[in-house]
Amino acid sequence: MKKVIIHPERCVGCLQCMLACAVAHSASRNLVGALQEEPRPRPRIHVGVTPSGRGFPNRCRHCDPAPCMAACLPGAIFRDPTTATVLIDPDRCIACASCAMACPFGVLRFHPTFQAPPGKEVAVKCDNCDQRQAQGLPPACVEACLTRALTFEEPDQALKRQTDRISRLVLEAVPYAEDLPASLSLLRALKQATAEMNRR
Amino acid sequence: MPAYLVIGNGIAGINALEAIRSLDPRSPLTLIAEEDFPPYSRPLISLVLEGALPPERLPIRPPDFYRRLGVRALVGQRVVELDPKAARVRTDRGEQVAYDRLLIASGAHPRTVEAPGHQLAGIFCLRTQAQVQAMRAHLPGVKRAVVLGGGLVGFKAAYALLRQGIAVTMLIRSPHPLSQQVDPEAGALIRRELERHGLEVRVGVEVSAFLGSKAVEAVELSDGERLACQMVVVGKGVRPAVDFLPPEAVRTDSGILVDQHLQTSLEGVYAAGDVAQARDLVRGQPWVNAIWPVAAEQGMIAGANLAGRPVVYRGSLGRNVIRIFTLDLMTAGLVNPPRQDDYQVLTHRDPRRGTYRRLVLHRQRLVGMVLLGRVEQGGVLLALIQRGLPLEVDPQRLLEPTFNFASLLP
Amino acid sequence: MSTTDKKFEQYTVTRDGQLMLAKAAREGVETVWDRFAAQQPACGFCETGLSCRNCVMGPCRIDPFGEGPQKGVCGADADIIVARNLGRMIAAGAASHSDHGRDLVKVLAQVAQGRAPGYTIKEPEKLRRVAAEYGLETEGKDDLTLAGELAQAMLEDYGSKQERITLLARAPQPRRQLWDRLGISPRGIDRETSEMMHRTHMGVDNDWVSILLHGLRNALSDGWGGSMIATEVSDILFGIPKPVSGSVNLGVLKQDQVNIIVHGHNPVVSETVTAACSLPEMLALAQEKGAKGINLVGVCCTGNELLMRHGIPMAGNHLTTELALVTGAVEMMIVDYQCIMPAISDVAACYHTKLISTSDKAKFPGMQHVEFHPHNAMDQAVELVRQAVENFTARDPDKVSIPVEPQPVLSGLSVEAMLEAMGGSAGPLLEAIKSGKVRGAVGIVGCNNPRIRQDYGHLGLTRRLIANDVLVLDTGCVSVATARGGLKTTQALEQAGPGLKEVCGALGIPPVLHVGSCVDNVRILVLVSALAQALDCDISDLPVAGSAPEWYSEKAVTIACYFVASGVFTHLGPLPPVAGSPNVVKLLTEGLNDVVGAAFAVEPDPEKAAQLLITHIERKRQALGLDARGV
Repeated sequence: MKKVIIHPERCVGCLQCMLACAVAHSASRNLVGALQEEPRPRPRIHVGVTPSGRGFPNRCRHCDPAPCMAACLPGAIFRDPTTATVLIDPDRCIACASCAMACPFGVLRFHPTFQAPPGKEVAVKCDNCDQRQAQGLPPACVEACLTRALTFEEPDQALKRQTDRISRLVLEAVPYAEDLPASLSLLRALKQATAEMNRR
Repeated sequence: MPAYLVIGNGIAGINALEAIRSLDPRSPLTLIAEEDFPPYSRPLISLVLEGALPPERLPIRPPDFYRRLGVRALVGQRVVELDPKAARVRTDRGEQVAYDRLLIASGAHPRTVEAPGHQLAGIFCLRTQAQVQAMRAHLPGVKRAVVLGGGLVGFKAAYALLRQGIAVTMLIRSPHPLSQQVDPEAGALIRRELERHGLEVRVGVEVSAFLGSKAVEAVELSDGERLACQMVVVGKGVRPAVDFLPPEAVRTDSGILVDQHLQTSLEGVYAAGDVAQARDLVRGQPWVNAIWPVAAEQGMIAGANLAGRPVVYRGSLGRNVIRIFTLDLMTAGLVNPPRQDDYQVLTHRDPRRGTYRRLVLHRQRLVGMVLLGRVEQGGVLLALIQRGLPLEVDPQRLLEPTFNFASLLP
Repeated sequence: MSTTDKKFEQYTVTRDGQLMLAKAAREGVETVWDRFAAQQPACGFCETGLSCRNCVMGPCRIDPFGEGPQKGVCGADADIIVARNLGRMIAAGAASHSDHGRDLVKVLAQVAQGRAPGYTIKEPEKLRRVAAEYGLETEGKDDLTLAGELAQAMLEDYGSKQERITLLARAPQPRRQLWDRLGISPRGIDRETSEMMHRTHMGVDNDWVSILLHGLRNALSDGWGGSMIATEVSDILFGIPKPVSGSVNLGVLKQDQVNIIVHGHNPVVSETVTAACSLPEMLALAQEKGAKGINLVGVCCTGNELLMRHGIPMAGNHLTTELALVTGAVEMMIVDYQCIMPAISDVAACYHTKLISTSDKAKFPGMQHVEFHPHNAMDQAVELVRQAVENFTARDPDKVSIPVEPQPVLSGLSVEAMLEAMGGSAGPLLEAIKSGKVRGAVGIVGCNNPRIRQDYGHLGLTRRLIANDVLVLDTGCVSVATARGGLKTTQALEQAGPGLKEVCGALGIPPVLHVGSCVDNVRILVLVSALAQALDCDISDLPVAGSAPEWYSEKAVTIACYFVASGVFTHLGPLPPVAGSPNVVKLLTEGLNDVVGAAFAVEPDPEKAAQLLITHIERKRQALGLDARGV
């Protein structure tokens, strides 16, 4: 089964995935319409910043077993047996934040959505774009990511690529950094140096 | 085919039944439990009191749960005697059940106040859904309530009543509620938030008598004052439900002591949930953390061990997440550490965002936290506490309003 | 020490800044550093220059990893997009300085017409000197007539009728010939900016080298055009700066006086406010309101202008502008334009401070708009000072905290003042350079940027350079940093190397010379031109360099480009948004050496940057046949 896989070295922090995610979880499903909706749709993928100033797209891992599901007091969090996606029933959710306390990745947010009962704050997180997937579309964040920091593929395939890369590194002494273009290695080296300088 | 017996149908017992069945689909499995309501989410009962949740939303398993799982359920019965030598228990209805492997998940009983008049109507504990139903029935006509104790239960009761516009007077020993969960600075902020919504806090006074003819009409305080009230909630903590244990049969302390597989000092007898006393992750010593998530986890692990799959329980951790009107609170671990040099306390208050954070470190390891406002990233911090490894990042980063999972990356 | 203090030490090296940040945090005031943190991570497409919003077939982005799109909708690749974006930054910077210059020329014209009460010709001699450079007949004309003619001649420089802008003639001949050969001699100030906007429109210039060359021409139109006119006209109207002592840091605010801060860039407003503050009726009103006086101080470059000419105290540089209000002691802040963060309105709202905007082209939310024009400037200034004095009674004493004692500073080192200090010619400086007592000179210029700990880059670099006998000239926000760090006093000679200490000691000047505001970088161009002419060489042969350790603005990009195009090797602390095109990076950091005899270097660490600059200076010395160390 295909999964969203994150390649953090490729994230350039443009936040496009967050924008696309919010739009995908709006009633109108387009940017202009989404910006006029109330409640305003919000992203379920969250690009955080690393100490060296780089972005990291943080989203629900759909863990199994899922700590949020175990912690959910009203039994609102469940796993879709066909896609293995961990979902939240907004009608059962009481926004108690027990899931946020259990989630080691900090991906839960609490706010109203157009799918929840009107005016009710509920726990919200990535649903793997189950509605888009049902139409044969990849998750919105993957589609928005121009640098392929987010891919939608069979985990085995991604793991094989990584294995190949490590093999080349070991057997042919090809430096790992070859994947990083000159433009970004320059930018990142300078940012890293600046961050270290500011800390000392 | 071992015969399993589980005492208690709180979340520890329920999770244990499921864990046993997932590993052993056929052996006889018996449950004895006092509550005959379908398995429900105990922490939600205060929401029922508040009127925010209908009672029918409490169950977290279907009504035919026991049947589907192949459990012989003796509900509405209380175990009154355990005979470890015979490996048998007896219930208050005279039922005798033998076992090969036993899980004690009998939970805890609220402590009562033995002042004159304590048998009057309108005086409640907040532990079971049945008690909440009774409280709901008593609510009409209640204008003022007195809550004894400012712990989790006292707090939740007071909050539920305030939410319905009932004036609440809380009698506590420390200057703020939740003194076990938070530090004084956070406590003051919480108290202020509650007082803004009508809570009156009285410090350093006890109830010396409950007054009234049939139902409670007032309480008399240790300083002689009388407070008119139509309801009293007792939140003076809980004690493990171990009345049925013969003296000296099992090693106990504040609860039943268990090893890393949650086995008691008796071979084949395990304990989980509010009754059990396992190692505390940050204290490094046995401790009863009578909270739902700990019970849930222990139930699952005890069930696996009962069914023969050895699983190690790493330890329990006190933690709570509470929403207090517009103020969110998340707290975990050791928040008021002993005054020793090897503990470091970091705090940050951000008046603009209305947040307060307190982190306790012990030799570079995060061992406790209090977050007020913006609690969404609390799980990341909690995971750091549970992992127990020295921090690789500047602990100051954890205080920043922008802290998130990426902050922990290189 | 609390953990928050530690955080503030990572934000700024300034003690007054750290203390005010702590106060801001206690009082719930958001600052530029909070907003910077909230903006992280920065968008990598924008940061590398790989995003293009120039047309609406797009917006487009280029994937630096090579898997995603490599061309915009129009077909522009990474090189073209990066070059176009940089070109537009240069145009914006040139436009800013040059428009500032134009405003001064307009004042000059109105003075000539007698329509600008409150302004006069303070330097008739300089007026005549500059008029002569413009080819005007000066004999037998009175000052006002000449001023009118000069203003018209300068406005011609803004237009499209000329082959070359006039003041290019100040550059050494080899440099002018090089510009002509390259086709980058600027023709008109506005024309080059306008042409840059044209070239970077979709479907015009799609040769990235050609775009960048025009970028240099556009920058030169600022350095030898708009900015140079701004400086010269400011001197004519307000006086040529002469050595003057002043004081700097937030300690210049006074507990018992009405504090007025002027913020922005153009002396047109601040000079009249200065005059209004010393009117007897204003001082009497201040007494009446319980204040011991009226204390006018500056921040940012308009502050530099006042410090240079009048010794008026400087409260701080760019990143101190919000913190100055956090003292709770400021009755009024009067702004004109450039580098005024709209956020100061939010800060002022937490205190009693009144905010006044004065320019028809720079309005801000939450500010009272009192428009200044040459014909009404004095009246407006008096009215504002009156309002400021009346606001003194609204001050909340519990919120007032003035964190430190002021630091003395020696300022006012215009080229004219330097020459005078040296006895009328650049001879002594040349001798000192030839003898090796002074190895060379570096102009450190530019801003603050929350990416870099405030003043850390400026101070680290300056200290290291003077310790190695390199004379430092500074302008803009750097000049506040070094002054605040105590480097603009003769005591600072103790931190200088033996040669520099001897030379500056003999002249009675500090090792770090304040030459003005950010438009005054042209004073550095004038000085290096004079040195090159004296040595009969090009600017690129001199042991000099430029540096912008903490720059942030488009104006700084333009300054750096006119330095390099004029032959001055220039170091930048933060990297401009060019990394997306390795070709552009290579051209800017290496290739330009073969084109204009100078290039850029990027190095955030001031210690390493100092090494780069010292090595450059020693290599240039070697090429001139002077003694050279370690090359």
